[in-house]
Amino acid sequence: MLSYTIRRILGMIPTLLLISVVCFTVINLQPGSFLDQYLEDPRVTKETVQSITRQLGLDQPLWVQYLTWMKGIVTQGDFGYSFVNGRPVSSLIWERLGWTVFLALLTLLVSWVIAVPLGIYTALNRYTKRSAALNFFGYVSLATPDFLVALLLIALVLKWGGSNVGGLFSPQFIDAPWSAAKVLDLLNHLWIPMIAIGLEGVAGLMRQMRASMLDVVGQDYVRTARAKGLAERRVLWKHAVRNAVNPLISLAGLSLPSLISGTIIASIVLNLPTIGPFLYDSLLNKDQYVAMTLLLFSALLLLIGNLLSDLALAWADPRVRFE
Amino acid sequence: MHRPTPLALITLTLMTAALTGTAHAAPKKISGYGTLGVTNGKPGGTYTLPLGDSPQSLFYYGVIDNNLGLVSQQLFDGLLEFNLATYKLEPALAESYAVSNGGKTYTFKLRQGVKWSDGQTFDADDVVFTYRNIIMNPEARAGDAASFKLDGKQIEISRVNQYTVKFDLPRPSPAFLLQMRSFIMPKHKLLKFSEEGGAKPSDINGAWPTNAPESDVVGTGPFKLSNYTAGQKVTLVRNPNHWKVDAAGTRLPYLDRLEFLIIRDPQAQVAQFLAGNLDQLNISGAQFPDLKSKEVAGAPFKVMRSTALFGSPPFVAYNFDARDPALAKVFSDVRFRRAMQGALNRERIIDTVYNGLASLPGHGVAPINKEWYANTRPQLGSFNVTAAGQALDAMGLKSKNSAGIRLLPNGKPLEFDLTYGTDSSTYPAMATIIQSDFAKVGVKVNLRGILSSKLLSTGQSGDWEMILHAFGDQPDPELRKPIWQPGGALYYWHRSLQPARDGDKPNLAKMAAWEKDIYAIFDKAATTTNVGERKALYTRWQLLFAQNLPVTPIAKPENIGAVSNKYGNYVYNLGVIPGYNPVTLIYQK
Repeated sequence: MLSYTIRRILGMIPTLLLISVVCFTVINLQPGSFLDQYLEDPRVTKETVQSITRQLGLDQPLWVQYLTWMKGIVTQGDFGYSFVNGRPVSSLIWERLGWTVFLALLTLLVSWVIAVPLGIYTALNRYTKRSAALNFFGYVSLATPDFLVALLLIALVLKWGGSNVGGLFSPQFIDAPWSAAKVLDLLNHLWIPMIAIGLEGVAGLMRQMRASMLDVVGQDYVRTARAKGLAERRVLWKHAVRNAVNPLISLAGLSLPSLISGTIIASIVLNLPTIGPFLYDSLLNKDQYVAMTLLLFSALLLLIGNLLSDLALAWADPRVRFE
Repeated sequence: MHRPTPLALITLTLMTAALTGTAHAAPKKISGYGTLGVTNGKPGGTYTLPLGDSPQSLFYYGVIDNNLGLVSQQLFDGLLEFNLATYKLEPALAESYAVSNGGKTYTFKLRQGVKWSDGQTFDADDVVFTYRNIIMNPEARAGDAASFKLDGKQIEISRVNQYTVKFDLPRPSPAFLLQMRSFIMPKHKLLKFSEEGGAKPSDINGAWPTNAPESDVVGTGPFKLSNYTAGQKVTLVRNPNHWKVDAAGTRLPYLDRLEFLIIRDPQAQVAQFLAGNLDQLNISGAQFPDLKSKEVAGAPFKVMRSTALFGSPPFVAYNFDARDPALAKVFSDVRFRRAMQGALNRERIIDTVYNGLASLPGHGVAPINKEWYANTRPQLGSFNVTAAGQALDAMGLKSKNSAGIRLLPNGKPLEFDLTYGTDSSTYPAMATIIQSDFAKVGVKVNLRGILSSKLLSTGQSGDWEMILHAFGDQPDPELRKPIWQPGGALYYWHRSLQPARDGDKPNLAKMAAWEKDIYAIFDKAATTTNVGERKALYTRWQLLFAQNLPVTPIAKPENIGAVSNKYGNYVYNLGVIPGYNPVTLIYQK
């Protein structure tokens, strides 16, 4: 297992290199340049634009820019420099990473806790009215974009006279030290993004869980377990659910990159301080090292997520073995 | 007992001041804004404003960033500032100024007793440092080096004594004073990033990144930086050393705290305003009816309209250098541009796109700008499709194809693209109206949408035929010379006039006669010191503009702001206009 893991990790390096080349090419194929915004200002002369181009190294051939960037990463762990913010990319990302990870993990947790039991329930009680209602709800929430849900929730809160219409805190708590009141305020704001972002995940996971549960309940080993006279509870949880949940483990691994790009529009509408809008801006402004670092990071998360879910599968499913 | 008369008291004070030598000049008294509804307020309170995104730096001259500008405006002052009601320049950090040597020497006496927010004394060294190392530094990304070169020669700044600085110009430049609104920066904090302090000239751009300690960012403005939470909020607190007082002698600003909430989405900003988390918001004509009806229904805020000088009036331009030579020929013909002005339904655009909250535009100068505006309203013509059609017939574009589209002399239909910004609240609707009205005179317009932020670079690339764009009005036409002087860097509808290098002479041979006239007017006005003569020159320019339509202005939008009823002394504030900062006067009722 250890050698398998090491082999997989080593295999990531060429993949990432290839991805970084593709990202760099795509970003540079975009029309326009970071310097466009300077053209709009009558204060800026052609000479200034030239000197900024030189300061940023944008006058170098593309392959030189790419290699310099790569060299920085490999030799010094330096992911480049944000043109827009005039600061190293890594410190900017760290600044925004905390809330991003917190929100992503929380929504993931919430959607799993709701979706898995619902999926099991609808699979086991296929023809009841309640299941039909839950399925209908699943379809609707799957079809509604998260930002639309966010807008609807904001409109509702405004109608009820609330003031928690975006962000994670009320203005007075944003830079206040942590206290019980601040946590309460956070909870009061948190339910909107939880519903808006989590709902889509719930619906998808629920359908997935239902399908694989249906697959599993008809299997021989479940019938055998029943025939042996095991308690229904035990049959269900020990044999059926444990096997049915396998595809979901793979899904969980794949959802890691959504940390970065999953909720861009909802984050903008809900004014959440996450990395998504940051990526969006860097792409619009052609802030190339920020955009490339984030895309590369996203690819790395996908590879790691894949590896983790493979390892988790090996642990959860006795049929999967690497040796 | 006999009491000293006020006059005697004043004389006594003046004499003491003269004797001690370190006169504590009076702080600047802000009064006379009764017409704007400004009254004496009371100290205290917190005011919350929106910010469209996180500032990219905390150093104003390091990045061109509107959000940073909004914050910087509260942290720093210039030598001069605008009168909020008349837009006339008046002393700020400078207490007075004198022009001598035939308009070539400007001497500024600085206000004494002004302190930076960390308690250090502000003096001539800070001013000289700011201009030499930052504003005139061509490597500073948001500096203004170009404005400090006249005919290729550098303007020199020098320190006369601790409280006097002097600018020597190579030639007279009457608009020079407007540059004196630039924010002055603290030498004692920024020296180490400057050439004078031993760094490279471009190192100044790296000063005060967003993770710089708050105590490093020091200014003379009404507020000082207290906290910056990335992506969420910028908090400023009152600068106790600020140098302004109100009419009653109360030290300004009134507010204890000024908070900027970072909210990217305009709709989210409105939601936060309605929820009471924002106290002031600038809105568009499209949002006006909704908010106004809420106000009428008793919501705790007011929606205010104001005709202001600043703000971008949209225009359409035709590419004189269009790729298709037949089109370029038609576009360069003034008869065509005048005819098409007749097919431009300004009233309908004002009514439907701006909800009536706009008025007819000027030509390069806002109609409210009493100092320079020449009445060109008759030249705007009126919307008349029949007359426009006849005018096109008269210029030889009479024959039409089966679809009713006029034919060019080479037999191709008169059809072109209109480039506009799709992500704007006004451009798409305007473009559609133009398309449908032009169709009525047999001119086919195809809409080509791009991001609004790419309009200028597209314009300058020359890859367009007709474009819908907007440039801001400024108090003095000289400040918009790169836009309106033929051959200027932003005169992009006739790019073939532009010189290869900024500052070189443009291609005069390719200019039409009227363009040559305008070119000469701008050159002359730039050095004319007599106000009457300058006014006459700019009046002629506006008439030439109105008759020849290098671009066709569409409308001048009104400025609309909404403000919570909890606060007094609200004056509309477009955004980053150095030297125009009414927030200092706001107080919590």
